[in-house]
Amino acid sequence: MIELHNVTVSYQKDAPALSGVNLKIPKGDFVFLTGPSGAGKSTLLRLVYAAVKPSHGHVVVDGQNVTRMTRHQIPFLRRNIGVVFQDFKLLQTRSVFDNVAVTLEVLGWEKKDIGKKVYHVLKQLGIEHKMEASPQRLSGGEQQRVALARALVNDPKILLADEPTGNLDDHNKDQILKIFKEANIRGTTVIIASHDKRVVHYSHNRIVHLEKGRIKENRDDSFQA
Amino acid sequence: MTRSRHSVRPHASAMGPWSRFCYFAAKAWANLLNNRLVTAITVFTITLALLIISLFLLFYVNIEGTVDQWSRKVVVTVYFEGELTPQEVTSLKGKVSSLQGTDSVQYIGKEEALKRFRSRLKGQESLLEGVAPDTLPASMEISLKKQFRSSEAIASYVAALRKVQGIGEIQYGEEWVRKFLSFYQFLRLLGLLIGGFLLLTVMFIVSNTIKLTILARKEELEILSLVGATPFFIKAPFLIEGMIQGACGALFAIILLVSGYYAFLSNAVNFLSFNPADSGMIFLPPVYIAALLFGGVTLGLIGSLASLKKFVIN
Ligand SMILES: Nc1ncnc2c1ncn2[C@@H]1O[C@H](COP(=O)(O)OP(=O)(O)O)[C@@H](O)[C@H]1O
Ligand SMILES: [Mg+2]
Repeated sequence: MIELHNVTVSYQKDAPALSGVNLKIPKGDFVFLTGPSGAGKSTLLRLVYAAVKPSHGHVVVDGQNVTRMTRHQIPFLRRNIGVVFQDFKLLQTRSVFDNVAVTLEVLGWEKKDIGKKVYHVLKQLGIEHKMEASPQRLSGGEQQRVALARALVNDPKILLADEPTGNLDDHNKDQILKIFKEANIRGTTVIIASHDKRVVHYSHNRIVHLEKGRIKENRDDSFQA
Repeated sequence: MTRSRHSVRPHASAMGPWSRFCYFAAKAWANLLNNRLVTAITVFTITLALLIISLFLLFYVNIEGTVDQWSRKVVVTVYFEGELTPQEVTSLKGKVSSLQGTDSVQYIGKEEALKRFRSRLKGQESLLEGVAPDTLPASMEISLKKQFRSSEAIASYVAALRKVQGIGEIQYGEEWVRKFLSFYQFLRLLGLLIGGFLLLTVMFIVSNTIKLTILARKEELEILSLVGATPFFIKAPFLIEGMIQGACGALFAIILLVSGYYAFLSNAVNFLSFNPADSGMIFLPPVYIAALLFGGVTLGLIGSLASLKKFVIN
């Protein structure tokens, strides 16, 4: 369960990135966060994994008030949240394997368990043959999968993705979205931020539409279907 | 995809402190090797920094040693009218020795005084012809403990000495002692100031070099933090890296210093008019070497800590 109570985020004084946002996303939901560039989609995601703190209001994740967390509590929140960043944030100097393994190393897994689990996830995403490669040698679609593998490898309760289909062709888009669906079926709450209207039409899911930092539309197609 | 939702999750605490440390150390080592150039630059900087400090220490230790030798000449002399009997000498020596600040006491009888005087006039003994052994007074030379070699301490020591029964006329070259000792204190202060300044500069340079290495890995720090690494988990490998680099730097500095020192000794005769080995020149005592090693490790650790403070934010 993710709740935003009257949340305002101001990077600068004059123009808040989000203003007075109220939102409830139940456990196991699949939500598309839409809106034009600059609407505040990325900011909303950042609130959930505590990379920004609201100027006003509260953010509650799994019953815990994120706004009040200390810097020693935040890591434990993040261990339950997988994030696929818009720019992937992959380490170019490390192998694909190492990039994915980092999520489990942080949790203190044993080396042999990490090896098995990382291989398993890479295989599910169809990139296990690129395990030893450096991310910079991969295509955009493949890099996206590595970023997704890193986010999914510890079976997070929540999966956040920022423009995950940004530069992908239609085939790759479908594949990636299928992976999100499968994670959702296994119980993970999924939030995808995207300005790409076609992706949103991909399925009948809940859509939260942002414009200029405010929620303009909060629609749930799944009830009408 | 067929996979159990709740796969068995090894818990973090399953890893004991020792295996945790090994994990961090292995990570630190891998990082050092992965960033060879940056590592080399950092170690080089620390080596240079510690070499400068240890050269300074070497100078300081030698100058201080020399001056300390001189300061042994700060003695209080007691002159007696006539010769003392052996019993008197023993009893007086006992009394003086029990005074706070006395290092050693030596009685010089008239005979001995003349002998000394004679040896000082080597080659010109004819001057002494006809001088009776009675001419020179018997005396007692008292050298003081190191912490009593200051003008005030000597003054109070002499005051106490005066109260000893049977003591003669006391002399201690007041003026010379005062000048010498204030010079000694000035020298120490100067050493402390220069040393402190050097240490600050070196810390600044080293922590800036390490900051660059951390800046180069800012992305990695960010990712670690975003996947839920605790601040400690992020910092630990860097701190170990810093300590390893510091230790290597110190080791190189010591090796360079030792080889430089002995190269100097074996060549000095060629361009110096004296042999420094004979003039009591010493190398850094083992405590200083240990301190240099420890200092290198601390330098690496503090440099890493200071730089990480700026970058590890959630
Ligand atoms: N780190 C930042 N510093 C200052 N302003 C920012 C920062 N991130 C985003 N903004 C501003 O906040 C607004 C919302 O940005 P963002 O959440 O990235 O929107 P979106 O992801 O929908 O494109 C924009 O006006 C953007 O310029
Ligand atoms: Mg964005």
